[in-house]
Amino acid sequence: MSDRLKFIWPPILIGVLVLAAWQAVVVVQDIQPYLLPAPSLIAENFFGDLSLMWNTGLYTATTAFLGLVLGSILGVAMAFLAQRFIVVNNLVTPLAAGLAAVPIIALTPILNNMFSITSRTPRVLVTMIIVFFPMLVNVIRGLVQVQPVQLELMRSMNAKPRTVLRVLRVPNAIPFFFTGLKIAAPLSVIAALVAEYFGGPQEGLGSRIASSAANTAYGRAWAYVVAAIITGLVFYLVTVALERWTTPWADRSRSA
Amino acid sequence: MSNATQPDRGGLADPPGPLAVQAQGIWKVFNEGQSGEVTALQDVNLSVDSGEFVSLIGPSGCGKSTLLRVIADLTDATRGEMLVAGVTPHEARQKQLYGMAFQQAALFDWRTVRKNVELPLELMGWGKDKRKQRSMELLDMVQLADFAEHRPWQLSGGMQQRVAIARSLAVDPPLLLMDEPFGALDEMTRERMQNELLRIRRETGKSIIFVTHSIPEAVYLSDRVVVMSPRPGRITDIVPIPLGDARDEDTRESEDFFHSVTAVREALRGHVGGASTRARVGEV
Amino acid sequence: MSSTASLERPRRSSGVGRRLRNGAVSLLWALAGIAIAVLMWELVKWLGTVVSLPLNTSDMTMPHVWTMVSAMGEPEVRGSDTTVLQAVMSATFRSLLLAAGGFVIGAGVGLLLAVIMQRFLFMERGLLPFVIASQTVPLIALAPLIVGIGNRISIGPVQWNTTYSVMFIAAYLAFFPVSVGALRGLQAPSATALELMRSYGATPGQMTRKLRFPASIPYLVPALKVSAAAAVVGTVVAEISTGVRGGIGRLLIEYARQITSQPSKVYVAVFGALAMGLLVAALVAALDVYLTRHLPKEKSA
Repeated sequence: MSDRLKFIWPPILIGVLVLAAWQAVVVVQDIQPYLLPAPSLIAENFFGDLSLMWNTGLYTATTAFLGLVLGSILGVAMAFLAQRFIVVNNLVTPLAAGLAAVPIIALTPILNNMFSITSRTPRVLVTMIIVFFPMLVNVIRGLVQVQPVQLELMRSMNAKPRTVLRVLRVPNAIPFFFTGLKIAAPLSVIAALVAEYFGGPQEGLGSRIASSAANTAYGRAWAYVVAAIITGLVFYLVTVALERWTTPWADRSRSA
Repeated sequence: MSNATQPDRGGLADPPGPLAVQAQGIWKVFNEGQSGEVTALQDVNLSVDSGEFVSLIGPSGCGKSTLLRVIADLTDATRGEMLVAGVTPHEARQKQLYGMAFQQAALFDWRTVRKNVELPLELMGWGKDKRKQRSMELLDMVQLADFAEHRPWQLSGGMQQRVAIARSLAVDPPLLLMDEPFGALDEMTRERMQNELLRIRRETGKSIIFVTHSIPEAVYLSDRVVVMSPRPGRITDIVPIPLGDARDEDTRESEDFFHSVTAVREALRGHVGGASTRARVGEV
Repeated sequence: MSSTASLERPRRSSGVGRRLRNGAVSLLWALAGIAIAVLMWELVKWLGTVVSLPLNTSDMTMPHVWTMVSAMGEPEVRGSDTTVLQAVMSATFRSLLLAAGGFVIGAGVGLLLAVIMQRFLFMERGLLPFVIASQTVPLIALAPLIVGIGNRISIGPVQWNTTYSVMFIAAYLAFFPVSVGALRGLQAPSATALELMRSYGATPGQMTRKLRFPASIPYLVPALKVSAAAAVVGTVVAEISTGVRGGIGRLLIEYARQITSQPSKVYVAVFGALAMGLLVAALVAALDVYLTRHLPKEKSA
């Protein structure tokens, strides 16, 4: 236990120091909220209307979650196809690399048009597309990057390709799946949030942050930001917990 | 085309059953006809009796690992005929007539030690109880029964190799193919593992083809040592090892052992200069 | 002997020619992909006329591809001289500049942080969790507020404006991959290599310059790729969130609002954003080939 502690106290220490310094600077310099609110003001706004924070966060989180699940399923499915059929791999891998720098979120207005802007659908769709690529790239890597000696072993045991997939490639790919998920999960929150800037239902965090800022309710705007931060963190931590739970072996043997 | 002669078995009766391996005129050429053409094996002839322990030794590029892989049907011979336990290598692999161990233990991290040993049995469709019984038997044989539920990374290198050997014995094949399995271990562990291997062989009577870099290892373990040479890969000598069947630590310090080591070393050396003063392929 | 000569010839380093050829092949696949996308678009539109689909395929919401292309030539605003295409291109260029600035700053900060974290274990333990956490935090959520703060402060004689805010956000998104990748790279040398340097009496500075930096290149290059991509996406997203003028993000929002009157304009803007991303990806890939030209094949990104 004490071994873990030495990893825990430095960041906590730095975090507390930063918060204290922030509060001190705001109070001492008498900085106005529209510039930089004190942590105390933010906390007041946050805890003051907790149920609103919760509902707003939940709305965006739901969009993010739907996009995350759908995009992951699609990504994993395509990865299996890409491992099995080299043509698919050759088509898809350069595409994924090329689209890495593309702001896919720019598709939102188009999707808003094609599908009903008043529903969640366009936002879920764009989130799904954004999540698809990191999941695809990582799962392909996991399915393909098995050691040559392991493949020789499988062949010496007269294993058919489908068996090799089941017994070797898939378990090998699980840590890679989680590497992708650890990227995709926070990304889905960001995507869901930003997609809200293009119009449509205004119940989510993105819309509320923008409107609070426009209405100079800065304490509240920052409170929504805190809610967004918490949402992103929750998505990430749940992913990490899921990883620890399903792959106890991955910690020690290799860092995927 | 000459055939490999039978080794001097010191008065023991000829073994019954088919030859473990019979290779005739095996060639393996990579990139045939192209600019990067490499002859990994040239006209290899070798017979391994049932129950024999044969080592393949030679410098890098001599083709010993390639030959092992042709036997294992992990790669095709360009020319020549090969019978493994009386059938083609392909059939031997399909019928799981051999077990294989590599220099890396190649255990799966996500499986316990026992489940690793059970892997070939799963692939052959054995039921859960039968698999467990057999895997515990095997772990007992390599003296790792206490570690059955451990994970591979919790075991030392030597222990991991023992698990790999247990796994190679899972389907009880008549032939074992081993590609420098002790190469990554330190000397003391190596010698211990060699004794383990000899004990397992005594208990099971299997044929073993063993690739190694180490002259003492080859001599200590084998009935015959096949000396190979590179560029192109070929058998240049087969040295019989008349050390008998009951080998132990004392054997390592005996005069006969020293003589055999010297014989193998000279066989290896004899061909660096190009001219061979000793036998051609197949002669003793 | 000819059969042995190939065994003895040293391996050619990384095969730059081969990789450029691979790049050309990728380009062809990309063009094929675009062609397929166009076909699929028209196919869906046609399908929408025969069966009822859950999406709107009318010419207003899903203009034909050729309509989009012709829209590029039309004046941006009634009576204006600039065409839609020109407007989109200049906006894209401006965003690209911001992204480049953000990338350079972010990568620089990331490298600096990595060197500090590698040198001082306390800093690594104290900072790394925040570095990681910073990326799970949707900074984009903060974007409007950053702009709000930024507009009211000035650093010395320079008045901070929204442009700098956007660059700041891009830099924020760009620094993480570089700091993590560079840290891993700086820590990459084996214990043996470190002992060797120590046996030469090398100072920490020399160790960093002569051992750690060169050893970190295979880790740095993929990190730079990710970082550049993050800077581009971050710029556009920040522009969207803040509505800052001059960039492609602003055009996306504006044209999206005009979608009922001039449906094709927003598509041109989307293409501009996509093209920007593809251009950066190609540039970074070229940088990758250049930086790793002497490394053995397995080590390149």
